[in-house]
Amino acid sequence: MQKLRYESPSIQKMNAGLMNKFGTRTEYEAVKQIDGVSVKSMIEKYGSPVFVISEKTIRRTYRNAVRAFTTRYPKVQFAWSYKTNYINAVCNIFHQEGSWGEVVSGFEYRKALGNGVPGDKIIFNGPEKTEAELILAINNDSLIHIDHFEELYQLIDLADTLNKKPRVAIRVNMDTGIYPMWDRFGFNYENGQAWQAMNKIVASGKLQLTGLHCHIGTFMLSTEAYAIAVRKLGDLAWNAKTQLNTLIKYLDMGGGLPSANNLRGAYMPAADMIPSIDEFAEAITGALLNIGFANSELPLLILESGRALIDDAGYLLGTVIANKRLSDGRKATIMDFGVNLLFTAFWYEHKMSPAQDFTHHTEDMVLYGPLCMNIDVVRSSINMPLLNRGDHVVVHKVGAYNMTQWMQFIQMRPNVVLIDEQGNTHLIREAETLEYIEQMEKMPAHLKTIEL
Amino acid sequence: MRYKSFISFLVYLAHAVLNSYAMLFFSNQKLFGALILIVSFFNPFTGIGGLSATIIAVIAAYGIGFSSDQVKTGFYTYSALLLGLGMGTFYELSMGYWLLLPLASLVAVLVSAALIAKLGKQNLPALSLSFILTFWLVILASKEFTAVGLTQRNIYWLNEMYATGGSKLIQLIQQIDSLDIPDAVAGFLRSLSAILFQSNIAAGILLVIGLLIYSRIALLLSILGYATAMIFISLMGAGGVGINYYNVGTNFMLVAIALGGFYIIPSTRSFLWAIITVPISYLLVLGLSKITYTWGLPVFSLPFCITVILFLYCLQLRKTPGKLVLTPVQYYSPEINLYTYINEKERWMNTVYHQLALPFMGEWMVSQGYDGDLTHKGDWAKALDFVILDNEMKTYRFPGNLPEHFYCYNKPVLAPADGTVVEIIDFIEDNEIGGNNTQQNWGNTIVIKHAEGLYTKLSHLKKHSFKVAKGAFVKKGEIIAHVGNSGRSPEPHLHFQVQANPYVGSKTISYPFAYFTVRDNSNILLNNFKIPKEGSFISNIIGNDQLQQAFNFQPGLLVKVNAKDFQEEEWEVFTSVYNETYFYCKQTKAAAYFKHNGNAFYFTHFMGEKDNLLFYFYEAAYKVLLSSENKINVKDNFPLSVYSLNAVKWLQDLLSPFYIFINMQFQSEVKKDSNTLTGNSISFTSKKLLNLFGKEKHLSTAHVKIENNRLHSFTVQTNNKTIAAICTV
Repeated sequence: MQKLRYESPSIQKMNAGLMNKFGTRTEYEAVKQIDGVSVKSMIEKYGSPVFVISEKTIRRTYRNAVRAFTTRYPKVQFAWSYKTNYINAVCNIFHQEGSWGEVVSGFEYRKALGNGVPGDKIIFNGPEKTEAELILAINNDSLIHIDHFEELYQLIDLADTLNKKPRVAIRVNMDTGIYPMWDRFGFNYENGQAWQAMNKIVASGKLQLTGLHCHIGTFMLSTEAYAIAVRKLGDLAWNAKTQLNTLIKYLDMGGGLPSANNLRGAYMPAADMIPSIDEFAEAITGALLNIGFANSELPLLILESGRALIDDAGYLLGTVIANKRLSDGRKATIMDFGVNLLFTAFWYEHKMSPAQDFTHHTEDMVLYGPLCMNIDVVRSSINMPLLNRGDHVVVHKVGAYNMTQWMQFIQMRPNVVLIDEQGNTHLIREAETLEYIEQMEKMPAHLKTIEL
Repeated sequence: MRYKSFISFLVYLAHAVLNSYAMLFFSNQKLFGALILIVSFFNPFTGIGGLSATIIAVIAAYGIGFSSDQVKTGFYTYSALLLGLGMGTFYELSMGYWLLLPLASLVAVLVSAALIAKLGKQNLPALSLSFILTFWLVILASKEFTAVGLTQRNIYWLNEMYATGGSKLIQLIQQIDSLDIPDAVAGFLRSLSAILFQSNIAAGILLVIGLLIYSRIALLLSILGYATAMIFISLMGAGGVGINYYNVGTNFMLVAIALGGFYIIPSTRSFLWAIITVPISYLLVLGLSKITYTWGLPVFSLPFCITVILFLYCLQLRKTPGKLVLTPVQYYSPEINLYTYINEKERWMNTVYHQLALPFMGEWMVSQGYDGDLTHKGDWAKALDFVILDNEMKTYRFPGNLPEHFYCYNKPVLAPADGTVVEIIDFIEDNEIGGNNTQQNWGNTIVIKHAEGLYTKLSHLKKHSFKVAKGAFVKKGEIIAHVGNSGRSPEPHLHFQVQANPYVGSKTISYPFAYFTVRDNSNILLNNFKIPKEGSFISNIIGNDQLQQAFNFQPGLLVKVNAKDFQEEEWEVFTSVYNETYFYCKQTKAAAYFKHNGNAFYFTHFMGEKDNLLFYFYEAAYKVLLSSENKINVKDNFPLSVYSLNAVKWLQDLLSPFYIFINMQFQSEVKKDSNTLTGNSISFTSKKLLNLFGKEKHLSTAHVKIENNRLHSFTVQTNNKTIAAICTV
C-alpha cells in the first residue's frame, strides 16, 4: 500500500448540512499539466515561480474573437494592445495572426517597430507623446490618436514643418451609462468638445481625419455600453461625412472586453456574469451596420482588445514556502509569488489550483506572497485543499497586465516560458539577475568604498 | 500639305495591299504579305495582274467609303487580289484586259463587301466566294470580248521569264525545279505555290519559309492536308480525276488550315476534324466540277468555301462548345489564338457568368457541396450548405444544445449580387437542435432574381430576420436576413442554390462564384469562377479602395512615364469600337488592352514592340487582385504568343495543339496586407517565371507602387538590369 500523504491538521467550521452519499468533497482538481507539459517538469527546468504562456490558447482565443467579428461585419482589424503584454514573443504571435500594434508610449512604439510592425499599422494612443515621438510617427505614416487640444495644435505645427499630412484620429470619451466614466482621456462627446476637435482638424487642412477612437472602460460587463458608444461615434462619423465632407475610414472601439476572471467583490462567478465575445460582437457590429453608411463606405472596425485575448493563456506556477496559524486561528499559506508578480491580485480573485494530488479536506486560508510588506496578499480568503511546503500551485488567467505591471520590488522577476503548439517549451524572458538590475546604476566615486 | 497627305495615303495603300496578300494565308503580317507578293512575281504576269487588281480594289474600297481601318486590313480586297492573280495567269495582257481588270476588281470589292456584311451577321467568313463569283463572271463574259483572249503563256511561262527577267534568276529557279527531291515533297511545294496560280518548287519553298515564320501550326496543318488528300486519293483509286496542284493547294491544304487551326482553336480534335474535312472537300471538288464544267467553269476554291462555311455554321448550332472551340476573337494567327484562348479561359468567364459573391461575411466552411451525400440529390444536387467552424472543427460552442450555441446562427446573410427579391417565406419557427421540419422543407427562404433565368435562393433563415421585402431591389453584399434553423435543418446552416426559375423548390443549376479565397492550412488561394468544394474554408474578397481607384483607368486618362535609358512615354487610355479599353503609347505605338471588373484588373492583350515601358508595365501588372487582404497569391499565365521566337518556342508552337511544355507564369502578391485601411501608399510585387518541362526559372521581379490612389511608379528587375519608372497620372 502506498504511503498516505501527510497533511497538516486543519480546522473546519461545523457544518450541519443534509447528509449526502458523496460525503464532503472539494470542487478542486489538481492541474498537473498545461498543454501536455507537466507543471513539475517546468518548475524543475525553469525554477519557481515561473510564468507560463500557452501559444495554443492565444491563437485559439484570438481566432474565436476574429471569427465573432468578421462573420458579422465585413471590415475588421484587431490591434494588439502592447501594454497588456509586451513580451516580444507574445506580441509576435498576435502579429502573425494579423493583428496590428496599439501603443501608448514612445517606448511601446519603438518596441512595435522593433518587432517588425510596419509604421502604418501602428496606432499611437495615449496622453503623452513627445515631439520626437510624434515626428517619428508622422514619418512612419502611423495612425496618431489625439488626446488633447495641445497635442492637436502641436500636430498641426509639425505637419507644417515636416510638410506631411499625418493620419489622425481623435479619442472620444462619452457617457455610455458606465461608472466610472473615463472622461480623462480624449475629447468629450456630450459637451461638443469632440466635434470641435474634428472641426479644427478638418479646417486646418494639415491633418487627415482618418478615424475616431473611444475606450469606454475596462473589464466591461455590459454589451449595451458598446452599442451606445458605437452610436455616438457613428453620429460623429455621419456628421463628418455630411457636414465636414470627410469620410471617417475607421472606428476604433478600443478594448475593455473582459476575460473570465472573477472580479473582487463580485457576487456571481465570472462565467455567469460575463457576456461572451459573440455577444459583444453582436452589439458592436449591429450598431455599426445601423449607422447608415453604404456598404462601400462602411468604416473599418478596429478593436484593441488586450485582456480578453491573453488573460486565459497565462499561468503562474509557484511553490508553497510555509504554513502558519494567524492569531485569530485562520490558516495562512506563504507562497513564493506575491503582488510583485501578480499585480492583478489587487482586483481579481484569481483561481488557484494545486498541482499535485490532495485529499478532500479543505480549509479557509489567506494566501500571502513572499514580500516583507503587509500589502502582499494574493488571496485574502480562499478555501483550498491543504498544502505542504514545497507543493506547487497553478494560478490561472494571469496573461494580461501581470507581465507588464510586475514590480521589481524586494524580489526579482522570474522566467517567462512559452509552450508552443507542438508542446515544446521556450524561455521567452529570462529571470532577472543582480547584474541586470544593477547595470543601470551609477556609483559616485566618493561612495565606492564603505567600511563597516 | 497636299504632298504630305499624298505620302500618307501611299503608306496606307501599301499597308492595305500587303495585308491583302497576307490574308491569302489567313495572316495579317505585312512581312509575310511582302513575301507572297514577291513569290507572285515568279510569274510576272500573274504578279502584275494581282498587284494592279489589289491597288485598284483598295482605292475603290477607300473611295466608296468603307471603314478605312477595315479596308486597311485587306478584308475587302483579297478577293480582288485573287482575281487579279487569276486573270494575270490566264489572260493576255491586251488593252481589253486592262479595261476588264479594274471593272472586275471593283465587282470583286462590292461582292466582298456584300458577302462580308451578310455572312458576318451569322459569324461566318466570306472566304474567297467573291473571287469565285467574279472570276466566273469574267470567264463567261469575256468569251464575248474579242479584245480579251486566253493565253497559252502559263504553259510556256519560262519563255516569258526569259523575255522579262534576268537569266541568272531563271537558271536558279530552273535548277531548283529540276532538283532531285522526292515526288511527295515536290508535290507539296507545287501545291502550295498553286494557291498563287503557280506550280513552282522555288515559289513553294519561299512560301514554306514564310508560313514557317508566320505560323508553325498552319504549316503543320498544310502538310497534314496534303498528306490526307494524297492518302485518300490513292486509297479510293480515284485515278487522278480532279487532282491538280491548284485543288490540292486551295481546296485541301487551305481547308485543313482553316478548320484545323484558324477558325477553330487548334487542338487534337481540330486536327482530327481537319483530316476528316479534306476528303469531304475532295467529294465537293469532284461533284461540283461535274456541274461547273458544263458551263466551262473551273470550281476554283468553291469546295473550300462550302466546306469551311458549312462546318462553322453547324458548329455554331451546338449548345455548348465542348472541347472543340470556335476562335472567340480572331488574332490572325493559330498560335496567338491558341495561347490567348488557353490563357483567357478564366477571363472569358467574365463575359459568360454573372459575378456572384459568397452570401456571408468572414470565413465559412462548405458542409455539403454539389451532389452531397445528405440532401443535395436529384434535381436539387447543385446546392451548397455553409457553416462556421472553430479551431477545433466544431460548429458550436459548449454545450451545443441550443441554436444560439452554433457559430453560424443569427449571422448576417448577404445578397450574392444585385437583384430583385421575388419571393420571401418568413413564418417558420426554428427547429430545436436535432429537429427536422420536413413539412416546410426549405424553411424561411428568400429568392432573388439577378437576370433572366438566374435566381439565387437562400434557405433555413431565421424567422422575422428579413431586412428586405418582396419586390425590393438589393445590392450585392447587402444584409438581407440572418441564419436560422428553420425547415429541414437539424442544426443551423445556410443553404444556397442557383436556379433558373423563381419558385421555392425549383431545380438547381450549376453556377460558379466569381472571386473567393480558399484557405488551405495557412495558405490563402484565390479562386476564380469556381464552385467551392465540400469541406473547403472559403471567404469573400474584400476590395481595397486605393487599388480599385488606382487601377480604374478611364478613357482619356494620360499617364506620363519616365525611366532612365528609355524615352519618355505617354500612355493614353482609349476605348475601341468593341468597347475594349486599352493603353496606347504615343511614342512606340504599342497598345495594351485591359479589363477592370471591380475585383481584378488584368491585361488581355499586347500589341506592338516589346522593348518599351508599356510592355514592362503590362508584365508587371498583368493581373492585379484589387484587394490587399491576407496576402493572397495571384497566379496566371502569360500568353506565349507575346514572347519572342526561338527554336524551343517553335517546337512548342508545333506541339501546342497537343501539349504545352513552356509556361510563362505570372505571380503577384500585395506587399502590404492590411485589411482595407492602408497608408497613403500601397505596393505589390509580381514575378515572371519560366516553367520549361516542369523546371522553374525566375525571370524577373517587379514592384508596382500606388500612392494617394494613383499609380506612382514601378520597377522591374531582371537578371542583368533594373528599370525604375516613375508614372505621372
